Order: sequence, then structure tokens, then C-alpha cells
Amino acid sequence: MQINPNNRRRADAAGARAWLLPAALALLIGTGGVLAHEVSSARADFVPPEPGTYKLERIQALPDGAVVDTSNRRARLAKYTQGRITLLSLMYTSCADPSGCPMALYTLQKVRRDLEREKSTGNRVRIVSLSFDPAHDTPDVLRAYGAGETQKRSPVPWDFLTARSPQDLRPVLDGLGQDVRVPVVQTEAKNPANLTHMLKVFLIDRNGWVREIYTSSFLVPQVIVNDVQTLLLEDGVKLR
Amino acid sequence: MSAHEITASLLYRIARFAVSVGLCSLFAGAATALADETCNSPYLTNLIKGQEDYAYVWTLGVPGVGDGWDKLVTIDVNPASPRYGKVLNSISVGARGEAHHMGFSDDRRFLWAGGLDDSKIYVFDIGTDPGTPRLTKTIGDLPEKTGFVGPHTFYALPGRVLVGNLSNSKDHGGITGMVLYNNRGDLIQSYPMPTSNGGDGYGYDIAINPQKNVLLTSSFAGWNNYMRNLGELVGDAEAMKHFGNTVVLWDLKTMSPKKVFSVPGSPLEIRWSLKPGDNWAVVATALTSKIWLIKQDASGEWQAKDVAVIGDPSKIPLPVDISITADGKGLWVNTFMDGKTRYFDMTNPEHPTQTYEKATGKQVNMVSQSWDGKRVYIASSLLANWDKTGESDVQFLRGFDWDGSALTQTFEVDFYKEKLGRAHHIKLGSKALKAAYADQPEQQASR
Repeated sequence: MQINPNNRRRADAAGARAWLLPAALALLIGTGGVLAHEVSSARADFVPPEPGTYKLERIQALPDGAVVDTSNRRARLAKYTQGRITLLSLMYTSCADPSGCPMALYTLQKVRRDLEREKSTGNRVRIVSLSFDPAHDTPDVLRAYGAGETQKRSPVPWDFLTARSPQDLRPVLDGLGQDVRVPVVQTEAKNPANLTHMLKVFLIDRNGWVREIYTSSFLVPQVIVNDVQTLLLEDGVKLR
Repeated sequence: MSAHEITASLLYRIARFAVSVGLCSLFAGAATALADETCNSPYLTNLIKGQEDYAYVWTLGVPGVGDGWDKLVTIDVNPASPRYGKVLNSISVGARGEAHHMGFSDDRRFLWAGGLDDSKIYVFDIGTDPGTPRLTKTIGDLPEKTGFVGPHTFYALPGRVLVGNLSNSKDHGGITGMVLYNNRGDLIQSYPMPTSNGGDGYGYDIAINPQKNVLLTSSFAGWNNYMRNLGELVGDAEAMKHFGNTVVLWDLKTMSPKKVFSVPGSPLEIRWSLKPGDNWAVVATALTSKIWLIKQDASGEWQAKDVAVIGDPSKIPLPVDISITADGKGLWVNTFMDGKTRYFDMTNPEHPTQTYEKATGKQVNMVSQSWDGKRVYIASSLLANWDKTGESDVQFLRGFDWDGSALTQTFEVDFYKEKLGRAHHIKLGSKALKAAYADQPEQQASR
């Protein structure tokens, strides 16, 4: 599956269909183009340790904040992060960095496929993508962007979330140390939002503790799968 | 001869040399670390690949010099700025605890700095206004919470800072460990350095290769040695045995030691080659004046071997800090005793070759370079009780241009003239980026 370009085209299409969305917005989405062949997961030149042979520390409690889903319904982020093991990806749809959000999307799709094959995963794991560019990533845009993932029947559900405003996001971004920066001197850029950020995907246990943080240096599908299974073992789940 | 015996013998020779030349504080041993843009944690964001704007210098307080406290000094290092080479500000921490090293958090919003004597850790906000750092947190309970003292290396992990310590609160010897904090400063876990299977339990630098899932640590000495008057130390044969002689290879994911290399002579700074596909790191030994290569062999097994000498080891140059170029083809080495900055061609890491040297001070310690390698910064101080004395006690930050064949000094800040103290660790800063939502007040969402 050629993930990122297709998702972006879907977002483009949604933008074009939504009369209330400025035409410029749809164009902007398309400008962050990343070719599929440019995107891959992090390189790992090692065999990841087996699930349960190591400890995932409790790094910090997950902060809460106000989010909206792709149907424009308000909710607390905690609704999407508790009760299941959660992979939370902070992202924005117009990210053009092959080692940024496209890499996270690509990797999480592979992780999802791997987890779907594990029967023990059933209904115990979810994926959440939360945009930190609410001005651009409206519910409509996210719905189109994530359609391939949200419409798929899977024991590993995938939700795409955004916020009504940057103010709503700040408790989450600041609490998680997700730095989002912009150039002091704005220049023409391929990236319409011109956001600079460190790719981060958070592994959260079902009690809301951040147990691992993956960046582009360590976003390795098999490592993530093994980490999820380590938490499943911790929860008393028998791996099959 | 065991590693300890080798070290003791070397230390004795160094001590004799120190006494012979009448310099009670020239036996500088070690104590430097992560320095520059090419030697940051691989988890660090926003690397400055253009012109840096600021040099942050963690500075030891000196009684009678200014307020006498340790301080973070911010210096303008952008040649295009009207204040180029000038001190912009300094933040005193209200204590003199042997300011030593610093490290960024992974998001480069905060700069962590430690005191080797009082074991305090200071967290400065450099993200809100990079030209005007603010002290936002002080962690003062490291010894009570962990049993370790002497926080030395601050190494960013995603959302966390791994701190390499030098000593312990029980006997102030060299047995120590690492401590993991989250970015808020909450203690997460401690990891003792290995004392079995060849491990000596000592600690110093930290360096990670994520693609290999490998963490390397090096080893120096405990509080009893690094805080002791040098003249007394070198006269104490038993104390002279207590220096680290190992590099430990850890499984990063499981944080478990996998292999201990015997690297005699206090291996200090560790630098991984940043060139994609490279599988090697180098470390310099202070007391034996050698470059060691840690590299995978043909079967994938990690091995360590010495590959070059630095200067004339018999003259005790005491390599302290090293800085690798972004392409892994060059290595700067500062030698404290002779005040020289040396450049090694690392094209073949199995055979590093020195191609250049220049006396950059009467004593030099830290060396930092810009990402493009065109600018090099040198700072002067090692430890309060080990720095040279008298006319040789010159404290500075000096900037140089490097054109590939020679260093040309471009500015100097005299830290005594500016009433600041002893210039130690250097980190670089930029004002090119700002927080995207800094002007958006946080709302305590109630919806």
C-alpha cells in the first residue's frame, strides 16, 4: 500500500469537495509532497530483544487535552488513550519531511499489520494520530487523510484527531515535550505550515503512562511490536 | 601488568613530571565530555547546520571573581551580529559546586548542567528566548535518591535525559552509575555501572548508536580524586590506582551491559562516526594519550583496539576533549598540558593520522565545532583544583575559523577580565526558530 501520497490525495479530494474549505487549503495539502519511495522506517542493524525480556519504564503520565475527531465531536484525549495500549503519533498532514510524519504513518501501518496477525492483540491495542496543526488539519482534512486507516475493519482501531485551537493543544504538546517550532524569519517553503518538529510516537499503557517514545532514530516496526507485546505480557496476556 | 597497574604506573610518571616542572595543577587527568554540534545525542532535534548565534559556556565560579558563583554565560558568536564575541548575559546559580558539563534535552528547549562537587543539576530554558536563558529547575537530591554523586554527562533520550555520574555518596570513590530522568526532571531509574566480568564500576561519558542498539560508557575517577588537591593526589600511591580503565558496551533497549573492554588510562570522550553506515566510535585515553577504536569486526562482534597515539605520550599531553566532524573524516583533539589543538585525519579509522596542530592556549580543555566544521571553539578550564596556576591560569572562550589547513582566531572572551570565572563546557544555540504556539496562551480545557 502506497500510504502517504494516497492519503494526501484523499485529503486533497476532500478539500475540493468541501465547499466551505478554501481552495487554497486543498492546494496547500498537496504541496507537502513526499514520494512513497522516499519513505521508510528507521534502519535497525540489530535483532530487537524478545518481548518480556526487558522493562519499559514509566516515563511520565500522559497529559490530557481537548480534541475533536473527524466528525468534529469534542472529547478528551484520555478517551482515546486509556483502557487499551495506545500508540499515539503527533503529526500534521502537510509534513513533507520523509523522516517525519510520513515515516510515522508508514511505520504505524506496518506495525498495525503485524499486530493484526497476532491473535493476542485483539481489542487491546489502538493507534491514534493527533495533529498539532489545527488551523490546517480540520476534521474534514483529517477524515480524508486517514480514510484508508479509519475505514478498515481491524482489531487495532486507528483514530485521527485534531483540536479546535492551538490553545487546546498546548497542555498536550507541552506536557509531552512535543516541540513545534517555526522560523523566526518566514521564507518561502514547500511546507505551507512551515512547522519544524521532532517526530515522536508515544507508547502508552492502558493506565495512561508513557512507556516508550520513538523518534526517527528508533522508529523500528519490530521494536514497536515487541514493546506492545511486552506491555501485553505485563497485563497478563498470553502471547500466541 | 593489569590495567590498574598500568594506570598507576602512568600516573606515577605523570606525577613525577608534574613535580619536575613545578606545576602542581597540571595533572589534569580528565573531566570533559559532550561538546559540540557534531557530538550531540542522536535524539537531539534542531541541529544547527548553518551559522550558530550563541555559545553557552558553563562556567566555574572563582572566589573573588565577580560574584564567585557558577554561572551559565551566553556569548554572541554570529559574525554578522554587532555584538559578535561579546558576553550577552550570565546567570549565576547561587552556588559554587564545580560546574562542569551540560547537555540538551531532546527537543533542545532545555539545557541541563551539573556540578561535580555539590551534585546539583540545573535546568535552563533556552527554547523560549535562546539569547536569554532562564534557570527553571534545580535538582538537588541526586545523592539521596540514587546514591550517586558527580553528575557529569547529560545525554538526551526521547523525552528523557540520561545522566552519567562519576562517583557515589558512600565512599566518594569511582563506583557509580547512570540515572534516567524524564524531561520534567522526575527520576525514572538508576543503572549501576558493571563491577563484574571485567567491569570496574567507573563512569564518565555516554554515547549511543541507535541503529546498532548500542550504548557505550567510559570511565574516569571518583570525587575523592577529582576534587582533591592535585599535589596531594599525586603523592598518594593508593589514590593513584583509582582511575577507570574500561569502556562498557550496553544493550540500549534493555539497558544491560553486554561487554566490557579493557581500555587502560582513563578513557574519556566517546564519539560515534555520524557517517551513515559507519559502525565505529573513538575514545581518547587521558593518561595513556591514545585513540581507541571501537568497531564491529567481520563477524559483527564489537572489538576495541588502540589505533593512534596523541602527541608524545612520554611528555604527558593529556588529551581531554575530542570532537568528530560531521562526515566522520576528521577529529579534533585538545591536549591540556601543552595547550594544543590537534587535527587527525580519520579517513581510515584504523589508522588516524595527525595532520595539523596549533597551540590555542596555555591550557585548553573543551573543543567544539560547528556542523559544517568551519568554526571551532576552545575553552580553557578542566577542574578548579587541577587548572594551571599563576600566569598559566588564563580562562577564556576563543573562536577560530578552520579553512581545512589552519585555525585562525576570530574572537576571545577573557573570563577573568569579564569577572565570570573558569570557562568550561560549550554548547551552541540558534535564534532561527521559535515556538509555534508561544503566543497562544494555554487553556485549561474544560470541555
